[in-house]
Amino acid sequence: MKKKYKLVMKVPKTPKRAYNHNRFISSLIEHQIKHFSEVEKSLLKPGQKLTDISKIKTELHASKYLKKMTARLHPQGAGKTKMVAQPSNAKKAAKRKTKRKLVKRKSR
Amino acid sequence: MPAGLDNLKHIVVLMMENRSFDHMLGGLKKDYPKINGLTGNESNPDLNGTMVPVQANAKFQGQLDHDPDHHFPGVDLQIFGGTAPGPGRVANMQGFIKSYATQGSDINASHAIMSYFAPKSLPVLTKLATEYALFNGWFSSIPGPTICNRAFAHYGTSFGNVDMNLFYIQDPILSIYERMVKAGHTAKIYYYDQQSSTMEIVNLLKNQPQIFGSYSQFVADCKGNTLPEYSFIEPCYNDHPGPGGGQILASDQHPDHNVQEGEVLIANTYNAIRTNQALWETTALLVVYDEHGGLYDHVVPPACQSDGYSASADKTGTGAPFNFDRLGIRVPAILVSPYIPRGTVVPGTEDSSGLIFEHACIPGTVTNFFLKNYDQRTVREKNSRNFLTPLTDTLRHDDDCWVFDV
Repeated sequence: MKKKYKLVMKVPKTPKRAYNHNRFISSLIEHQIKHFSEVEKSLLKPGQKLTDISKIKTELHASKYLKKMTARLHPQGAGKTKMVAQPSNAKKAAKRKTKRKLVKRKSR
Repeated sequence: MPAGLDNLKHIVVLMMENRSFDHMLGGLKKDYPKINGLTGNESNPDLNGTMVPVQANAKFQGQLDHDPDHHFPGVDLQIFGGTAPGPGRVANMQGFIKSYATQGSDINASHAIMSYFAPKSLPVLTKLATEYALFNGWFSSIPGPTICNRAFAHYGTSFGNVDMNLFYIQDPILSIYERMVKAGHTAKIYYYDQQSSTMEIVNLLKNQPQIFGSYSQFVADCKGNTLPEYSFIEPCYNDHPGPGGGQILASDQHPDHNVQEGEVLIANTYNAIRTNQALWETTALLVVYDEHGGLYDHVVPPACQSDGYSASADKTGTGAPFNFDRLGIRVPAILVSPYIPRGTVVPGTEDSSGLIFEHACIPGTVTNFFLKNYDQRTVREKNSRNFLTPLTDTLRHDDDCWVFDV
């Protein structure tokens, strides 16, 4: 059974419009990418090509490169991530699925 | 030793990004006079010479789309108001608007650097700051950017670096995690997920992957009573797609990422500890920011003991070398434990008997607490303040400690 707490404070949700993976990377992320590129250089085997990090412009690009490198260095970090927001399409699809299940159950 | 320290088994540090003390918590002074925040009369001149006061109009996102300068020369301008390095110059905290205006902001936009959050806008940070211990005098370690400041949290020094460049560690000084593991203790760095990864310590990820975990593992470790003795948590540094078509938001609070998502991360981290009673009674959580991110703070950073390194004039970009003998700008720092009385404020430079903290206190305190006598570190770290002093003998009743509904 879940414990009940006396003092509970509601935390406001972050609005969905805050999400923008096309945001240009900050100087901080740019340097993070450079640091990983240094590591990539040190891991290159003959014939392998270094990722061209000059093409990494957005946070989405950065996250893909970081995932590739981190999975290589720390594969055990590929855990489940807690979702903070669901895009409206995914939510609608989930709702449709639930509705379909209910209809099936009713028709039985 | 107080019971709070006798019973302490875990120290957790959550390091956020780029917000100054006054920007996040300065508004608390009105209701909590012991907090060294803003009176409302603090101001900075803009490029027209008009004095612009601080204003409680900070926004969660969209106000600082030019990332405010916080590299070494920019912070020098912010602290000294534009007076060139030389004998007798005085720090006056009058160069924040000037610095932001040089980045292409128009006059009105440059005033945003003086904005701060009303306490009700940041319910999580405000709740923790007023319920547990708030440090009035916790400063970033260097008047400079993220990478060198985060290095102080991991190593107690940046090995002479004042910038964002990667440095390979050739010193005998080990990171706090390596020290702990080598001595038979447990320590972990939890990065948010693989798409966000780790910042600054990529050398450790390459050579010591066993000391890393993800945030979901941190939550599982809290639940399963497998939390290491020392944990360092990194926020999510970028927006990216999540599994199953979801969206993961950056939670680091670095401008221009949404500040509310950082509040959610802080609340989740607190809850992960708070909702396991055994863990809650044996853990101290420090929430701290790496540096001020170019945002206004009114407190002049004090001088400090050098860590034995020096950065040359060409590295600092100010025309003068830096001997690591002055701290960076003040940042929010809150210590959470049920052994801390509500409303504890640790005095800083405003009090003649106040205490000064900086990021070298992190490895300093963790090393002293778990490893006792350990010599292979800088004199600055050895002499750094113990941030666990707010823990007392008295355990607060469970009904007297909040839980967040996230």
